[in-house]
Amino acid sequence: MTTIEQSQGFKQLAVEDFRISEEPFYLPISDEVELFESAYEQKIPVLLKGPTGVGKTRFIEYMSWKLHKNLQDSESGVPLITVACHEDLTASDLVGRYLLEGEETRWVDGPITRATKVGAICYLDEVVEARKDTTVLIHPLTDYRRLLPVEKRGELLEAADGFILVMSYNPGYQSALKDLKHSTRQRFIAIEFGYPDRDQETEIISKESGVDLSIASELAKLAEKVRNLKEHGLGEGVSTRLLVYAGKLIHQGISPRRACEVAVVWALTDDLEVQRSIEEVVTSIFEE
Amino acid sequence: MSSVEALHDQYSQELKGFGASLPDDLLQGLQGLSEIYDQSQLEQWVKIGVNLAHHSLRSWEATSEFFRVSPEMAKKLTFSELKQWSEIGTYLATDASLMSVAFIKGSPSALDSLNFADLDIWAKQGQRLCRGNWKSIALAALYFQQSASLLNVLSLELVDRLVEIIDQLTERSYELANSVLESSYDIFSNLAEEDREPFLLFAKSVTRASWADTRLYFERGPKLIENISPNERTIFLDLASKVTMDVGRQGFPLFVDAAQSLEEIPLEDQKALLLFATNIAPNSAIAAMEYLKSTPFVRSRLTTEQMERWSEVGVELLRMGNAEGAEAYFRLESSRAEEMLAALSARVELPSVSSMLRMYAKALSGEQVAVLSSEDLVDRNIGWISEAAPTTEGTTIYLPPFVNTFEEQGSNFQVYKVFTTHQTGRLEFGSFNYAFNLDGQHTESSAELRESDQLQNKLSSDAENTDEDSHAQTVSTEIQRYFNLFDDRLLISGIFTIVEDTRVGSYVDREYGGIRKWLQRLQNWEVDRRPEVRAMGLRQAFVENLLRASLGRPDTIRWPQDRYTTMQKGIRALQMVNLEHATVQDSAEVASALYDIAVLIPNVPLESADVEWEPPDEEMIQIAPDMPGGGEGGEAPMPASGDELDFENPEQPEFRGEFKPELVQLMMKLKDQQQGQTDGTASPLTKEQLMELLQNSVEITINEWAEGDLASSLGMFLDNLEKDAGTPAGEPKEQSGESGDERGGGDGGDDEELPVEIDWFYYDEWDFRASDYRPRWCRVGERLGDEGELDYYQDILQKHHGLVMETRRQFELMRPESFRKIKRLEDGHEIDLDEAIQFYVDKKAGVGPLARIYTRRNKIERDVAVAFLLDMSASTDEEIEKQRQKYQEEEEDFQDDPSKYFQWLAQRRARQAIEPPKRIIDLEKESTVLVVEALEAIGDSYGIYGFSGYGRDNVEFHVIKDLEEDFNDRVRKRIDKIDPVRSTRMGPAIRHTIQKLDDHDAKVKILIMVSDGRPQDHGYGRDRTEKEYAVHDTKQALNEAKRKGITPFLITVDKEGHDYLKQMCDDIGYEVVDNIESLPRRLPTLYRHLAAE
Ligand SMILES: Nc1ncnc2c1ncn2[C@@H]1O[C@H](COP(=O)(O)OP(=O)(O)OP(=O)(O)O)[C@@H](O)[C@H]1O
Ligand SMILES: [Mg+2]
Repeated sequence: MTTIEQSQGFKQLAVEDFRISEEPFYLPISDEVELFESAYEQKIPVLLKGPTGVGKTRFIEYMSWKLHKNLQDSESGVPLITVACHEDLTASDLVGRYLLEGEETRWVDGPITRATKVGAICYLDEVVEARKDTTVLIHPLTDYRRLLPVEKRGELLEAADGFILVMSYNPGYQSALKDLKHSTRQRFIAIEFGYPDRDQETEIISKESGVDLSIASELAKLAEKVRNLKEHGLGEGVSTRLLVYAGKLIHQGISPRRACEVAVVWALTDDLEVQRSIEEVVTSIFEE
Repeated sequence: MSSVEALHDQYSQELKGFGASLPDDLLQGLQGLSEIYDQSQLEQWVKIGVNLAHHSLRSWEATSEFFRVSPEMAKKLTFSELKQWSEIGTYLATDASLMSVAFIKGSPSALDSLNFADLDIWAKQGQRLCRGNWKSIALAALYFQQSASLLNVLSLELVDRLVEIIDQLTERSYELANSVLESSYDIFSNLAEEDREPFLLFAKSVTRASWADTRLYFERGPKLIENISPNERTIFLDLASKVTMDVGRQGFPLFVDAAQSLEEIPLEDQKALLLFATNIAPNSAIAAMEYLKSTPFVRSRLTTEQMERWSEVGVELLRMGNAEGAEAYFRLESSRAEEMLAALSARVELPSVSSMLRMYAKALSGEQVAVLSSEDLVDRNIGWISEAAPTTEGTTIYLPPFVNTFEEQGSNFQVYKVFTTHQTGRLEFGSFNYAFNLDGQHTESSAELRESDQLQNKLSSDAENTDEDSHAQTVSTEIQRYFNLFDDRLLISGIFTIVEDTRVGSYVDREYGGIRKWLQRLQNWEVDRRPEVRAMGLRQAFVENLLRASLGRPDTIRWPQDRYTTMQKGIRALQMVNLEHATVQDSAEVASALYDIAVLIPNVPLESADVEWEPPDEEMIQIAPDMPGGGEGGEAPMPASGDELDFENPEQPEFRGEFKPELVQLMMKLKDQQQGQTDGTASPLTKEQLMELLQNSVEITINEWAEGDLASSLGMFLDNLEKDAGTPAGEPKEQSGESGDERGGGDGGDDEELPVEIDWFYYDEWDFRASDYRPRWCRVGERLGDEGELDYYQDILQKHHGLVMETRRQFELMRPESFRKIKRLEDGHEIDLDEAIQFYVDKKAGVGPLARIYTRRNKIERDVAVAFLLDMSASTDEEIEKQRQKYQEEEEDFQDDPSKYFQWLAQRRARQAIEPPKRIIDLEKESTVLVVEALEAIGDSYGIYGFSGYGRDNVEFHVIKDLEEDFNDRVRKRIDKIDPVRSTRMGPAIRHTIQKLDDHDAKVKILIMVSDGRPQDHGYGRDRTEKEYAVHDTKQALNEAKRKGITPFLITVDKEGHDYLKQMCDDIGYEVVDNIESLPRRLPTLYRHLAAE
């Protein structure tokens, strides 16, 4: 990956003008909305913990929308800037860098810098994937100082009022090597995202995919059963996201058994025996 | 003086000289013949006799017989024939008079079945057996004795065959020949006439192929063919003869096996099988017999058409000229045969689906359930079930070992699924969670009320009886307390089972729409097999009807028309548990209500003509759930309780299996108790409490129980139950300590020396002739290696100090093995273009602090797992000197210089005196020590295993250090105890090692086998000398390793090894260590090369 591509990639994501104008559908699982609002109020950084596909991203979008609405200020509001973290993410990628323009150079703010300036929610997705020396960068930003050092320009940037740093973190599949440093971790409050219970999940599936409640509830039931098999080589239980996929396929007229096969069984594992037993659960729940 | 007397007087004197009895015999003969013969004939006759007496040493005995038998013969023969007959007697006497005697004596009855013309042939047959020695004479005599009667059952021609057999046997054993001859009449007279010839024909083949089996055949043959269809016996025996002619001594055992198998086949089906066998016999006689042998098993799995398709594959093998393959196929010792069988068979075997069903059950219930065969539970003898039916005891789901209900495999699998779902349902929907007097979702509990009523009644009756301690009832479980509420335990248990199964069934139906169809199919299947209600007592009919309703088929209820309200009340109550969210508490309440109804119905038969047993009407089928209220009345009164029939609970539908809530709750309690989880309030169960529970429970099936004394079988049951739950109940601890002190009389189990724990594993073996695996052919017993002294290890370390240091160093060098790019370095191997550009831009902008534009490849942790497999066969016991001698002797023959030789010998002796001779195994051990040291330095995971054993059932696999195990003193001690044991069956040992490596997580996997020679073992090949088979199997095993991503490597100290190694190792690495003593040095080096690749 070249630097230029990288910066282009971030350009698409790091638009501080990006607002979520329509209410995203988010079904609160417990008190996470309240917690987040309070944290935002008190400028406490938030860590969203939980397996893949349980709505962390959706939650943050929803919160962005909701906080924006609370402000009653459609102009500035609370934008959401998301950064997908990966191994090669450097400090420059986050803070900003100089670009060549003809014989001149031009400074371009990185996403975190933009967020700091406009007071946005800066969402670092899968933060453990980033290198440790990169994560350290956020330390001054996430304690009482709320400062972002922009090394290359020799500046210190104070975070605007609405700024909050949010990270997501999936404890399930990280290896011991890739854990967060304690000093990083202890700068955040952690909101745990678990799987929704059957009724909640039914509602989510139905709303998201358009299938009726009865099918949605069968899908939720399937999820519950499959999650019982977690330690059988299924790194994680089936995510709500996959169930929504299955629901969408069903909504399109694919038979439920087939939809579950492609969206759930095969997506989860390559172990033939586990596949087979999940398939049997599917065929027990759904009629031919 | 009559001519008779005259002749007598004339010859008596002469005859007396031969034997004292002769004159009397003569007189007797003369008297008998005088009516028939004229004077001159008589005289000629006497002369014949006298001449015979003169003929040879003891031929007078023949004369004696001749005189006595002649009158009888004369009735059958003309005089000239009689003369010819006597001539035969005479020439037999030339060989042996005893034989002649027997011939003459046997002649009259022989003539019953023979023409006179055949008499000579007959005599010659006997003569053939006579070889001059007394044993043969006795045999020949026996022959004439026996054959008179034999001829009644066998034609002369067949007797001739028999003689041939007997004649052949005499070459081996006269005793055997005798006994065969003696038994012949019995055998052949009992055989059907048309079977006699084929029987004899086969006998001939058997004798020729393996004479000793002849006796066995004569003894067992008739019985063996008894159960073969009379029409097919000839075919079978002919086939057996042909086979035996083809294969020799194997023929007879094949015949026995085939015959025993055919016995299990209905007569009318045997023909087709035999026809098939006869057809393939020309291609492979063995295959034909193996086919017959396997038929009962194959037929138990397949329908006729399926079996044809199965056989076709074997025939195809024959057609391709792979006879060995076909034989293995038909012998069911080939994977292909088993696969075909499994694919064709409708039957589903539990082992093939159990782990999948376990996950299924786990998914459904969310609990750690196991799935086992219900045969296991039967074997455990805790009185749970007496036959293989599905059930659960709370943590394990027991399923029958196979399902054969329907004709397609898919359906039978669905049956398994329904079984599993129902049993899982009991866990998932809480069948065992009954708590006393807890209200249900739809009903209020009446348990407490009932209990106090019961107590009231008891108190008042106690007052009358002035019985003191009768209400000191103890309860162990909640459900027991519930059952105690009812006088008729059997009835409440039966009703509760039906109700609770209805509830679980309802849940399953609601929750798992996908198997609804199969649930219904099984319900209907069961309903079709229910017994006739009309013949039952009324109460039993009531309960049976409840069961039918419970199976979703109220339409099959039959009940007296005039008492329909009662039945209706029952069905209504039952429907309560079909309501959503019903709990086991509801079931208990409904069961109580149903009990109240049932207990009032006398169990009398009601089959008189004026009572009409009606199927229910529409309303009844659609009836709404409701608990029975008070007095509806208005129907015919129940018949007076007259001659009541014994009440039996209806037989459980198979798919629901056994339901034992009382035992399950008890087991759970015992388990909790063991784990110390009793809440403070509940005191641990006492033996008395348990006994009481068991005595009252109707859930226990112990077969001998009724007659035997109750206390002791209960005690036994309890023991087993506790063993199962894991702890003795309420037993004070000290007691067991006490008995532990007195040694000797113990029951063996607690002996000081723990028995070696062996885990058994099964592996296929490659049969290169059949080009197919023999399924689960070898049994590998894995055990921990014995521990010896720690000193050994230290000694070796010291002895090889230098070498150890050297290898360690070398190994440490190879640590970095796979690399990872590290970026943003100020110095490194390569320039990172991205970074370089960035740096340039930054520089231009006047910032860019440091030029971190380099990358470097850096070492990361090695991820290598290696398993060493050491040959512990007896041959490794061989001293190295001897080995060396073997190789050197040809080269160094000391040029015929004895002094040189003695010099050498003396040197050798001196060497041996200083150090005991080293064995190959010692070097293997020393090498192991070195390798261990090296590996510890490098940090690779490694396992060390030894193998040996005898025969395919007993491949010993010793774990010196398991892959997962840490290196410790116990491992060091085990190395000391690596000792030569028995043979070398490499294949299974390799396969087991593969398994171990496969289960281990590592990027690079290596298997190194150290051996001293070719693979060999009992039965590892067609016979003792065959080497091909073992080599092929080993090669196959090594290939399997490669397929699993494991690098196999072979090290051998067998110098002769090159030839088979080349064959065995095609493209697999191997090395022959020429100088055996260099093994300890060589092994680590080799490993270094291997693991660095
Ligand atoms: N509580 C919820 N309310 C509404 N939708 C939800 C909820 N939970 C999950 N979803 C659905 O699940 C999908 C996946 O959620 P999302 O992408 O937010 O997961 P995530 O936790 O961010 O996963 P990852 O860790 O893989 O990024 C969403 O698109 C949405 O359809
Ligand atoms: Mg996300």
